[in-house]
Amino acid sequence: MKLICADLEGRLPAVPRRVVGAQWVLVRLHGYPLGFVTPPAMGCTSEQLRQLALRELAGPIATHLASDSIGDGAPVPNALARIAAPCPRWPVTGNGVVTVAVCTRDGAARLGECLDALATLEYPPEQLDLLIVDNAPTDSATRDLVARYPRMRYVPEPRPGLDWARNRAAREARGDVIAFTDDDVSVDPMWVRAIAGAFAEEPDAMCVTGLVVPDEIDTPAQALFETYGGFGRGFERSVSRVAPGERAVRRYGGTGRFGTGANMAFRRSFFDLAGFFDPALDVGTPANGGGDLEMFFRVLKSGHALVYEPAAMVRHRHRRDYASLREQIANNGVGFFAYLVRTAQAYPAERFAVLRLGVWWLWWWNVRRLLRALVRPSAFPLDLVIAEFKGSFVGLRRYAAARRRAEDVLGRFGSDAEPLNALAAGDRT
Amino acid sequence: MTSPPKSVAIRSVDVREPLHPILDVTEYGLTRVFVSDGGELIGSVDIGNARGPISATRLRDGIASGLSYTLMKRTVERQLGGVEVPPNLSPAVRVSIVIPTCNRPDDLRRCLRAVEQQRASRPVEVVVIDNRPGPSSPTRAVAAEFDGIVCIDEPRPGLSYARNAGFATATGEIMIAIDDDVTVPAGWLERLVAPFARPEVMAVTGHVLPFELETESQCRFEAYGGLGKGFTGLEVNGEWFRGHRGPVPTWKLGATANAAFRAAIFSDPQIGVLDEALGAGMPTGCSEDTYLFYRILKAGHTMTYEPTAWVWHRHRRDAPALRRQIYSYSKGHVAYHLTTLLRDGDRRALVRLFYSLPKVYVKRTWARLRGWSDYPLSLILVEIAGTLAGPWALWQARRRVRRLGPGARPKTDHAVSLEGHFTQTPAA
Repeated sequence: MKLICADLEGRLPAVPRRVVGAQWVLVRLHGYPLGFVTPPAMGCTSEQLRQLALRELAGPIATHLASDSIGDGAPVPNALARIAAPCPRWPVTGNGVVTVAVCTRDGAARLGECLDALATLEYPPEQLDLLIVDNAPTDSATRDLVARYPRMRYVPEPRPGLDWARNRAAREARGDVIAFTDDDVSVDPMWVRAIAGAFAEEPDAMCVTGLVVPDEIDTPAQALFETYGGFGRGFERSVSRVAPGERAVRRYGGTGRFGTGANMAFRRSFFDLAGFFDPALDVGTPANGGGDLEMFFRVLKSGHALVYEPAAMVRHRHRRDYASLREQIANNGVGFFAYLVRTAQAYPAERFAVLRLGVWWLWWWNVRRLLRALVRPSAFPLDLVIAEFKGSFVGLRRYAAARRRAEDVLGRFGSDAEPLNALAAGDRT
Repeated sequence: MTSPPKSVAIRSVDVREPLHPILDVTEYGLTRVFVSDGGELIGSVDIGNARGPISATRLRDGIASGLSYTLMKRTVERQLGGVEVPPNLSPAVRVSIVIPTCNRPDDLRRCLRAVEQQRASRPVEVVVIDNRPGPSSPTRAVAAEFDGIVCIDEPRPGLSYARNAGFATATGEIMIAIDDDVTVPAGWLERLVAPFARPEVMAVTGHVLPFELETESQCRFEAYGGLGKGFTGLEVNGEWFRGHRGPVPTWKLGATANAAFRAAIFSDPQIGVLDEALGAGMPTGCSEDTYLFYRILKAGHTMTYEPTAWVWHRHRRDAPALRRQIYSYSKGHVAYHLTTLLRDGDRRALVRLFYSLPKVYVKRTWARLRGWSDYPLSLILVEIAGTLAGPWALWQARRRVRRLGPGARPKTDHAVSLEGHFTQTPAA
């Protein structure tokens, strides 16, 4: 069953009887996500759902309405009347040209749903640049699929690796802002509006990440992915920045809490300033992840702001079967530690802090979960925790291998100038 | 120039006015925003801006999430029509502002400038007391820069001597006491005196906010408790005074850095003026205001804490001054309790002196050792030292007062004429 979205200002949907898996309802107000509610298994009517949402989410609703009433002069005669009133936050008029980049690899089967969602984006068409980067294509399926959508551009990138594809998108982009997403994601119609709005509001922000909600929770593996950590990073907007002189790794090294590559956007000027994605990281390389984490860290390290904007929401289709879930969780460990190795190499001054973070992370995340899984097997499957634990150690060695692979790819496909820049990004001292 | 990492920017916004981004805080890691709603102070939020600007959206989010309960409560109260408009104090009532000072021309000038800009529909008199008069004293010159300021001398050192001299000279029916290191915002005066429209109210105290938190000492002082007593109003009376089994926490009511009194209380034999043995400039260091509150409540009168009538106070900037201040607060606190014990026979003071105060220090030390707080051990030791020095300080102060003689007292005929004005004199 697909995730149900309930917008409080309109008529709420009725929830049908649950057939498989779990059923959450995402409650939004003025397009802004407030939280999840769980309706009863036998379903509920529209009015029951409204009562449930008002009861469970009274706090976030009050905060949102209070926020709307700040700075508008007159006191509000009726607090709840504001639910129906329009929210001034994200005007439909554009905020500059935005490039949306979907990087895919042999993903024609998944891509259809993603492209359908992109077609519903609410943003002035002349300010929207939709780019599909096909990574190391082996057939023409993706090209043929994209050809059916008139407003989308198809760009092939022969060098295998997600970060090569992202860098291609960054160079092909026509917009001042590049919003990245994956082929197993359906974006919300308001996604680009919220991203562009966040960049307009925070002039020194170089990166905006957003909320990732599960598109469906049908199988145990999908439910487990959410309880294990998931992609969601909460419903509160936040702005993060490293003050000059503050040690970046110590407070912000664990950049996974800021978001994920399935929903992130950068100003194009940041790539000129701080280099491109490291092609030795992320999917399609031995490191198998970490490209997004490394870029978040680079934004913070360079003293710019990173905004987490929950209103920029996408739905992610989690892996349905347990085997791919375990692979993904193991890759989380590999990718994170590959990112740490890369950070230690790129910023020698923070090497000790990276070591501390790595040791702390092993304890805080891996060992504690292992103990929990041992004591209470119902919490997490033991083999899942062990897979991630192993992945952490594997990751320590993988960055060097990935680096060699990236140089090898460069040798085979030739340099486009920018990848060298990406390999060198870091402290140039 | 970069400021030390601990400094906090202070800004204030009103939620009824359009929000603007705060751009000039790039020297600060943290910004404390004091929020008011139509001129009425409702709370503060801290925004960790990490030396960057704060956008309007971030400001709005910060205020909404920090004060959503307060904002919604106010909205609902307005919707239900529950906000009772208190009666205004008659514009004929004359108000005197009494400001003691000693050799601090810059602070005094800033204070008088802010006082001068108060718009009041009533007669307002400003009395400045020079507590260290002499040929080199700059006070008279500063006072002469402003129109219609009464400047008097009180050569006997001690804040209570100075304030009592001011109260004796001033002619208002309401006496406002402020310090020379505060500045007052627009509309402060009327908000502070408004509760006097009710005849049973004999004293009103206001909120004291930090004017700046530039140095570590200023931040520490604010963390120690500062001078403010929170954003929630409080009204206490004789019942409250008698209802406490332990000592009456009069120190939670505010301070004479921002307080107003009915002039009549100073000639009331049950209350009287500030105790000269207590207060700054004396070995005891402080608590003259707390003891006056004690006397007012003991006489059965009503006092209110009015958080919307706030002033900005400039805390001492350097570390030795902070230590001195905390030392004298601890001394004065003990001296106050001993005074209530010896003068008023209030045995509840013993509970404070021998049970709850030691407990506070043990708790704080424990919290510090466990890493639950970052309040330094050295300051806890300073507090303990001050506590131990309290009895000796009180004895010294009493001896000095005997030598210097009693301070100025208000003329009784003036007070008697007030008796008729307040028809409903509360019973003691």
